[in-house]
Amino acid sequence: MEGIVKLAAVVKIKWIGISRNMSIVIAPIMTIGLVYMFRILYGRNSGGELSPAMISIILNIGLSMSICSDGFLMVGTTIAEEKEKHTLRVLMTSSVTGVQYFIGSILLPFILTVGVNLAVLFFSGIPMEQVSLPIFLFVNMIAAFISCVIGMIIGICAKNQMNANMIASPFLMIFMMVPVLGGMSEGLHRLSGYLFTGVLTEMTEAFANGKEYTLQPLNVAVLFLELVISVLVFLSLYKRNGYEGD
Amino acid sequence: MEQKILLQLSHISKRYKTEHALKDINMTLRKGEILGFLGPSGAGKTTTIKIITGQLLPTSGEAKILGTDSTNIDASIYEKIGIVSDNSGVYEKMTVWQNMAVFAKIWRVPKERIVETLGQVGLLEHKQKIAGKLSKGQMQRLVLARSVLHKPRILFLDEPTSGLDPSTSLAIHKMLLNLRQEGMSIFLTTHNMEEAEKLCDRVALLYQGKIVEFGSPQEICLKYNQKKRYRILLDSKETVTLDQNPESAERILEWMQQDKIQCIHSCEPTLENVFLTVTGASLNL
Repeated sequence: MEGIVKLAAVVKIKWIGISRNMSIVIAPIMTIGLVYMFRILYGRNSGGELSPAMISIILNIGLSMSICSDGFLMVGTTIAEEKEKHTLRVLMTSSVTGVQYFIGSILLPFILTVGVNLAVLFFSGIPMEQVSLPIFLFVNMIAAFISCVIGMIIGICAKNQMNANMIASPFLMIFMMVPVLGGMSEGLHRLSGYLFTGVLTEMTEAFANGKEYTLQPLNVAVLFLELVISVLVFLSLYKRNGYEGD
Repeated sequence: MEQKILLQLSHISKRYKTEHALKDINMTLRKGEILGFLGPSGAGKTTTIKIITGQLLPTSGEAKILGTDSTNIDASIYEKIGIVSDNSGVYEKMTVWQNMAVFAKIWRVPKERIVETLGQVGLLEHKQKIAGKLSKGQMQRLVLARSVLHKPRILFLDEPTSGLDPSTSLAIHKMLLNLRQEGMSIFLTTHNMEEAEKLCDRVALLYQGKIVEFGSPQEICLKYNQKKRYRILLDSKETVTLDQNPESAERILEWMQQDKIQCIHSCEPTLENVFLTVTGASLNL
């Protein structure tokens, strides 16, 4: 009970931090807005009906953006902001445990990422009967969790918000751009299959094309391996210096 | 009767790659006392607080806080201590009240206590103000109010009045003396010797990671008062400094009888003078 109260306090701090940071708030709105805009514009160009390939591209862009901007940046920059404003140490010396801070930091971004991904799915114009919602939710939740853990890694390494954006850049290039550009290059498409964001976009590609989708052993292995790797990297960084770098 | 010891440092040393930050630090903090750690910047004051509060591991030695080894403390110890450093931050996007309320939730403190502490630091009328819009002095008072919200047994203050205007410093001093009155133990680091002399029951003079003198400010000053002298301002505006001897006593008596003395002061050294004597360096480095 006591732990939950402290967790709730951390979540409240994070909620106020996120909700009053315009650059963070705008990202999920922009993702959904962009997906809807693409749907309208491309739909108008093709006489109101979107081709499966077009839906697939829209979903690909929307989901990659959501996973990366919400998870990586929302988690990473809020931790970096706490370091910048010297509130992280205050919180960590107030009897909040590392686990409570971890859960409190990723809870809202996780829920938001999963929610935005569902909204992206809805606004993309994909016929919903083609979507297997349980599989989508399962992959979506694992991908959102991995992106939040990567966000924690970014937060641990960053000294301030600007630094967090810089550290996030290579992660964005790999996990967002590779699946998005996968349609243009066979090599990138193959590489995308080994990324958790790639598994997510491959799944939605299949839904868009009306194919029955089942998770292949490789997909499951990629998701769990990247989940385990991200958690291990986070834990090793945390064990070395806690949430702060000194 | 021996007062209860809440904090004990035994042979604490801290070595970084190229630097020996602390060398064989020994001291105790008793219940209801203000202990000052006095030294110039870089003397090891903040490092000491970080070791005691479990934020940094010592290279050798043992620090016991409330009976627990500082290397083994868990988050629950932070419910019994308060920490204020010169860069303790506040949540700038929250109001003053929200800043207090989240910590009240963490420490399970009733709302009445928030009202009480904000009142003590004079911020109650600003409770709906966004913390980012407070002045530096108000922000430091908010940090202090937050640190005592849960009535900690030990309060660590790292340069609490650094860079503040005299009236805010005075308000903070008053509050610290009240907290001591209530039985709180305070570990204060400062390079302001006047502050230390005014507030502390005992002080440790720290220089290059080593305690060079330890005791009450008065004890320390009197220990180095080798040559007892008096400075006298006469009606004629002439200042005379006299050594303590029978001839000086006669002269002073004579001036007193003639009502010629404007003021008279003993010339024992200040903590800063002592520091200078012991180390050959100034406190305000």
